[in-house]
Amino acid sequence: MNFWFAVLRQTGRNLRQTWTSQFMTFLTVSLSVLIFAFFYLIYTNMLGTGERLSDDLRLIVYLEEEPGTEMKEQLRRKIKNFDDVEEIIFVSKSEAYERFVAQLGDDSDVLADMPENFLPASIEVVPLKSLRGYRQIKLFSEYLASLPGTEKVQYGQEWMERFHYFTRLLTIVVLLSGALLILTATFMVAYTIRLTIMGRKDELELLKLVGATNSYIRTPFLLEGILQGFMGSVIGLSALYCLFQWISLRFTGPGILNLFQFNFFSFRVILIIILGSISLCSLGSYSSIRKFLRI
Amino acid sequence: MIEMIKVSRTYEPNITALSDISLSIETGEMFFLIGRSGAGKTTLLKLICNMEVPTKGLIEVAGYNINQLKGKDLAHLRQKIGVAYQDFKLLSDRTVAENIAIAMEVSYKKPRAIKQRVRDLLDQLLLADKHNTITSELSRGEQQRVALARAVANSPRLILVDEPTGNLDASTTRQVMELLNRSKMAGATIVIATHDASIYQQSKHRVMELRSGTMHSLTRGDL
Repeated sequence: MNFWFAVLRQTGRNLRQTWTSQFMTFLTVSLSVLIFAFFYLIYTNMLGTGERLSDDLRLIVYLEEEPGTEMKEQLRRKIKNFDDVEEIIFVSKSEAYERFVAQLGDDSDVLADMPENFLPASIEVVPLKSLRGYRQIKLFSEYLASLPGTEKVQYGQEWMERFHYFTRLLTIVVLLSGALLILTATFMVAYTIRLTIMGRKDELELLKLVGATNSYIRTPFLLEGILQGFMGSVIGLSALYCLFQWISLRFTGPGILNLFQFNFFSFRVILIIILGSISLCSLGSYSSIRKFLRI
Repeated sequence: MIEMIKVSRTYEPNITALSDISLSIETGEMFFLIGRSGAGKTTLLKLICNMEVPTKGLIEVAGYNINQLKGKDLAHLRQKIGVAYQDFKLLSDRTVAENIAIAMEVSYKKPRAIKQRVRDLLDQLLLADKHNTITSELSRGEQQRVALARAVANSPRLILVDEPTGNLDASTTRQVMELLNRSKMAGATIVIATHDASIYQQSKHRVMELRSGTMHSLTRGDL
């Protein structure tokens, strides 16, 4: 009989003897992984959606009057003074009118009685990809609004603000569920291992007396922790995947969810979550072994 | 095999269990420890197998200062010492076979060899029909024999036995002593703590009598 055979057999015995508490711990770890992964999945998808939407971001600066050639150059310089931008497009009153007519299409005759210069001239500023954070855009828009001859700056402030606060709230929820995962994985596993150690006190004492090495006695408990972490995370992630598939199927077709492109975790993230769960459960197991299994 | 030099053991607050015991036990010797209850026999056995640490003095087993051994070294030495405890220390929720096998499992013996050895021992101790019985369902005499079987199972070089015949009739006592004699013939050193004069009186082995923790006499059984 070799070491690993003996240790695996011992681990099997431990699991059989304390299967009720082992099952409860396994459920708790699975549920914690599910809760954490659920919010983390929403969070990563929201960030992805935010990035995709910000690709189309442009700030529209409405001007009090049509700028001349020299003023256009001055405004271009002033805008670039703040930061380099991807593109600056000047839209004259007549161009704005033409665009509006094109947008209205067949309904453009509603403008028949309107003068062609009733829309204000504007500048469309496309910021660099590096300048897409909510605070940076806000600062940039305030700067643009302070330029002389500027009437108003628009970039979907309200929508950006709501999105920004929503992602911040999600960050907090993800952190809290992460903390929940850490607490349950480490403490529940530590508690279960402690119960097992207490329940098998006589046997462990005897093993010591008949010459079992430290690793012979301790390794099964460590394996229990690793197994709890692995099984808990795999079941938690599998449950989330089923939920994800169900939502994807249930909400296909026109609707709000179609605005967002939802993706499941990459293989790398799945691996990190599983390894994280294993590490936390092993840590819980190790702390109990250190505390209650002094050989 | 065993060297004890001026060994004392005191318990808190001030109870002397053993005082200045000096003793040498040769390899392959069968050695009897006798004395009344509380004389210090069990304490002496516990000191030899490192279950307890002496307050003073030196104990060497197989050339090692047993109180300085730690970790793997101590575990490996313990694998070579078989102990049958007075309170048996059997796992009450396990079968007889599992209890005996535990001593061999820790030294990674092959499952087939373990099975065979367990059967042999149960045959020798007249317990063959108890192979799969849970130990809590056995009588005290049967439990005592299972504890002894576990002590000799791993063919240890040193066997310490505390009251091996306390709960046994004359015939079973004979079986137990035969088993211990076979282990002795195989080269094991055997130390037996007992009240039972019948097992040492007719023998030619050395007998040490303890009184109140001190060595009262050291004689041969047949003298």
